[in-house]
Amino acid sequence: MHVIVATDGSRASLVGARQFKWIADSREITDVTVIAVVSPYAAVPFANELGPQKNTEMAELSFRDEAKTAVDIVAAEFDAWGPTIHTQIRSGSPAQEIIRAAEDLEADLISMAAGSRGLTSTILLGSTASRVQHSAPCPVLICRPTRNSDRALS
Amino acid sequence: MATSAAPDTVKHSELKRSITAKQLYFYVVGDVLGSGIYVLVGLVAAAVGGAFWMAFLAGVAIATITGLAYAELVTKYPQAAGASLYINKAFRSPLLTFFITICMLSANMAAVGSLASGFVRYFSGLVGLGEEAIWAAAIVAVIFVAIITVINLIGISESVVANVVMTFIELSGLVIVITIGVIALVQGVNDPSVLLQFATEGGAGNAVLAVLAGVSLAFFAMTGFENAANVAEETIDPSHAFPRALIGGMLTAGVVYVLVSISAALAVPISTLAGNTLLEVINADLFFIPATIMLFVFGIIAMIAISNTALVTVVAQSRILYGMARENVVPAVFAKVHPVRRSPYVALLFGGVIVSAMLIIGAAIRSTQSDLPAEEQLDIVDRLATITVVFLLFIYALVIVACLKLRGKDEGPGVYRANTPLLIVGIIGNLAVLAYTLIDDPAALFWVAGLLAVGGVLYLVQRFVGKKHPVSPGGAAEAVEPTRSKES
Repeated sequence: MHVIVATDGSRASLVGARQFKWIADSREITDVTVIAVVSPYAAVPFANELGPQKNTEMAELSFRDEAKTAVDIVAAEFDAWGPTIHTQIRSGSPAQEIIRAAEDLEADLISMAAGSRGLTSTILLGSTASRVQHSAPCPVLICRPTRNSDRALS
Repeated sequence: MATSAAPDTVKHSELKRSITAKQLYFYVVGDVLGSGIYVLVGLVAAAVGGAFWMAFLAGVAIATITGLAYAELVTKYPQAAGASLYINKAFRSPLLTFFITICMLSANMAAVGSLASGFVRYFSGLVGLGEEAIWAAAIVAVIFVAIITVINLIGISESVVANVVMTFIELSGLVIVITIGVIALVQGVNDPSVLLQFATEGGAGNAVLAVLAGVSLAFFAMTGFENAANVAEETIDPSHAFPRALIGGMLTAGVVYVLVSISAALAVPISTLAGNTLLEVINADLFFIPATIMLFVFGIIAMIAISNTALVTVVAQSRILYGMARENVVPAVFAKVHPVRRSPYVALLFGGVIVSAMLIIGAAIRSTQSDLPAEEQLDIVDRLATITVVFLLFIYALVIVACLKLRGKDEGPGVYRANTPLLIVGIIGNLAVLAYTLIDDPAALFWVAGLLAVGGVLYLVQRFVGKKHPVSPGGAAEAVEPTRSKES
């Protein structure tokens, strides 16, 4: 089966990827595609918080490079796990592009993280995860960062 | 890493861009159209007289030449940072790059302030708020800024479809004005010779000065096109799409502007239009729908148009702050992104506070001037628009210089090449308008200095309080790295 693992560059998405790896059976999975979506019209099209934060050179900030770094770090989680690893960077509305990727790749599962814990997630619900699970062409695994998963996996 | 050792774990990477030439075109038209004409038409008319369409024409021409330089540079360096990036590539001076970035940030802040005040004019027109209600107007403007900031915090303005819809709404209002202009011409409301009248009577020299006086304000109407560089990274086939979409979009906006200003001059006496909004054109009641209904409809359209441009400007402004924080020139806190909404909330809130402060200072100055004659009182829309234009004219002139300086460097087969003599005309045009603006309104320099000081303070805070090499927020770097090395 082919699984899509989505990342938005957040720490929650990395923990989510680890949760997925912990839940899933690598013998059943043939392909994993790690996807990041850059939203060009957003104030910050892609914010990568993974890996060592290198300060960019004067005026050289590239959101595409940020997305590439995030995708590579998440993909590195699946090194030597078994399945073939692909990475993909798309651009547009995150939910829509994740669904499109699932259609294009005929994916059998989408794995993604849903926001963060705490007060902010109650007031400002993560809309990407809920939109994806509404209209995805396949099952969706929404990884919730919990106190235990954080401690056990990182 | 183990990737290369195991043949079945080979990585395949793929990049998909999304913005088509058509979407980019709408982005440019939407960005440019909302800003100026709805807000500034009355001020330009007051400065120039019946021939104020010439000021728009001149403004469009200078801005479009600048657009050519942008098109060339974007096809060379399709990255998000725009002007700062080009200046950095051309001059390799960190200080100059920093200065230009701060200028850009200040220009955006002043533009949001001007747009907010322009929004209030239409809002007042709808609810019947008088001109003497200075503080009420300031409060509405600050609320407007707050709402725009919240919308960007939540991030609902990011949809490509919404952008196209907004552009059509903006266009519809201007099409109404042009239709009224045609009706006015057919009915012979104003003598068409009004189109050649200047506010200052006298020879040709005075006519040129009158147009120049209007150009700097009319120029504000063309700003916003440089935001197109923001989406350069995500544009499909940028070397073809960019020049066509950018120049096409600017020319579309330019034609609409000239037609709207001719229509406005034909439909209402210049004395009525002077200092007022396009609502006066609707008020002339020449349209086949009664003016009472149209005033409401047009007011709403104008407010949507202004809001759309304000939204894009706030996005650009927070992105600049975010970028500077990532480059370690302003405190790292501005690079903080909301964990769920992925918006740079500190940068957005800071921008909102600065713009609100400008609006309140403007209202405070205004409230002490009640005994002055009307023309000597501070017009906050005018002042903030002038400040925006001062910053932008300087940046634009330098961008064209950078474009010429970077000739022969990084030239691939797909690079668009702007016409050199035109670019030189562009530099002269930008500098001439800049010089005239500063001679005409030297008090704007205080505001310019004030905004630059904000940037300077941020820099100093980072220099003396901020860490030299900040680690990522929340210590993510330390947490991620060990796990990776264990597994690989």
